Amino acid sequence: MNQYQYDAYDQQIVEERARQFAGQVERRVSGEMTENEFKPVRLQNGLYMQLHAYMFRIAVPYGVLNSRQLRKLGYLARTYDRGYGHLTTRQNVQFNWPKLEDIPRALEHLAEVQMHAVQTSGNCIRNVTSDPFAGVAPDELEDPRPYCEILRQWSTFHPEFAFLPRKFKIAVTGTPGHDRAAIRYHDIGVRIVNNEAGERGFEIWAGGGLGRTPVIGKPIRKFIEYEHLLSYCEAILRVYNLYGRRDNKFKARIKILVNELGTEPFRLAVEAEWALIKDSALKLTRAEYERVAQHFQPPPYEKLAAAPGAGGALLAAELGRDRDYARWLQRNVLPHKVPGYKTVVLTAKDKDTPPGDISDTQFDAVADLADRYSFGRAVVMHTQNLVLTDVKESDLRDLHQRLVELDLATPNHGLLTDQICCPGLDYCALANARSIPISLELNRRFDDLDYLNDVGPCSIKISGCINACGHHHIANIGILGINKHGAEAYQLTLGGNDSDSASIGRILGPSFDEHGIVDAVAQVIETYLALRLSDDETFLECYRRLGDKPFKAAVYKDATPRDDDSEQAVA
Amino acid sequence: MAKRSGTHYVLSAQLLETGAPAYLTAAGVWSTNLQDAHTVLTDEERDLLLAQAEQQQRSVCDPYAFDVRVERGAIDPLSARERIRAAGPSTRVRRPDPQPPATLSRASEPRSDAGE
Repeated sequence: MNQYQYDAYDQQIVEERARQFAGQVERRVSGEMTENEFKPVRLQNGLYMQLHAYMFRIAVPYGVLNSRQLRKLGYLARTYDRGYGHLTTRQNVQFNWPKLEDIPRALEHLAEVQMHAVQTSGNCIRNVTSDPFAGVAPDELEDPRPYCEILRQWSTFHPEFAFLPRKFKIAVTGTPGHDRAAIRYHDIGVRIVNNEAGERGFEIWAGGGLGRTPVIGKPIRKFIEYEHLLSYCEAILRVYNLYGRRDNKFKARIKILVNELGTEPFRLAVEAEWALIKDSALKLTRAEYERVAQHFQPPPYEKLAAAPGAGGALLAAELGRDRDYARWLQRNVLPHKVPGYKTVVLTAKDKDTPPGDISDTQFDAVADLADRYSFGRAVVMHTQNLVLTDVKESDLRDLHQRLVELDLATPNHGLLTDQICCPGLDYCALANARSIPISLELNRRFDDLDYLNDVGPCSIKISGCINACGHHHIANIGILGINKHGAEAYQLTLGGNDSDSASIGRILGPSFDEHGIVDAVAQVIETYLALRLSDDETFLECYRRLGDKPFKAAVYKDATPRDDDSEQAVA
Repeated sequence: MAKRSGTHYVLSAQLLETGAPAYLTAAGVWSTNLQDAHTVLTDEERDLLLAQAEQQQRSVCDPYAFDVRVERGAIDPLSARERIRAAGPSTRVRRPDPQPPATLSRASEPRSDAGE
């Protein structure tokens, strides 16, 4: 199956959790529990209260789903929601309209397919995320998924870390040269690396994060052997749990602690703690690693050669024959480590639909496609798309046709309209401004594939408030919704990057209203096109070469921005 | 007095069953329609109603008050947040199917759904 399969113990846990929550809901409904008593309990089962309804967040460990799970998600969307689910920026799936009394039954359904909603909320260790192309990317040093699974099992119901100062997020990348998991912006980031002697281990980063205070994490351990992964992470969590602030929710993340202590004192504290536990039961044995890694053996690939005329020649041929298919090959079909196979991105982005939303029929259909074309497996990307990881080249044309019918074939992976967008004020109780309408308006404005391809890779990410769930800080073009005297306004940031040459975007200038921000983004793109050295110079490269000045001059030349953002309201 | 001159307070909460926004009416029951809301002027009236709402845990969660304008009987929240909360999402709720569902391959429902 190429995915971790529950043993009896795992299955018992999720079934008992569902029964436990059923009892808790019963007591809440009867009035035996107050809302204040019930709130931490429901949060630990992934149930939020949002603007219009509850929101139910389901854990998808490092984004991996099998077809049975996809169908179950379609069923839940149809039966307990309004016919759709939402792909999140932490590779989970959430539903926006469930009823409280349906959640225990939904949890039972999830348990049937080895899923749950444990620790998708609350001040605990959240879903471990990773590269969506884990296990198949040709530039991968080692498949990170076994380590993600080991971390997941270690962190689930960890008795010491159930009530941390704040939420805690871990990401793992197995491709040290190309971070597709944004590990530098996580509380703990793990890179699989080789040391100078060629031994395999991890580089550990800590103290990264977005939100009100975006911080690029610090590498605190250049190399640690694989057997010490859990004990080192445990040491970091212990230092955080002990010294992290609990007096101010907005200063409680580990990034604040690392900043206030200083990186070196923090590192020394972790090392001191680690010295006490490194030879404990947390030491990862080879047997334990194998117990988990056996679930991630490669699927039964056929021995295939690359398709005749593969790569550029195939593309050139298709451009003349079938432009839509050629574009899709160019943007959404990615290299695979096994000859004759490709990885395919299913973009859940278009100009009419909130980014990342998937209907119940699309869940069902993607399950069928996964079974037919990809060994029954799909992956949720943190960029709110889906991936079919193992598609034979000979199946690409058929698959494309089916994806077109499903409206999942927009060839915009990595382009301007492949945006990350939080739910914003249309849904979220924390938001200051709506984000989805901005995203949709941008998609309508840039609804020209020739133009998008001319612009090339350029990320737009939109957050409805300073909590930055839309990752606007690390976008090439970031948009932040703020509240100005009760009205929605939008700030523009430029120059962020979520990968190896990490950078936080800089605010360009005063904010705009909902129409002005779209015009401002268009002006930024036009300025880039006018000033780039060549078609090959990306937006980010151009911005880094030129800085803010020409973009600021162009954007604010004719604009009527709001004068003063000093009263930006915070959530 | 309500936060700004010329404004009133409305009491709101989320329905326990669905999480939908609800507004306290003059009859003391909760309505999902903002225009049904009872408006009060003073902090004392507000606090009294809040204290009563806190006792209605079996119906609602997290009651609070927010400012509104009342003009010709129509209640208008001062903030975008409360306007959207009252009106619902400003964007299409459900991603539309590209084709009628019947024409797409639909796998059989998971076995546990039988008879439900």
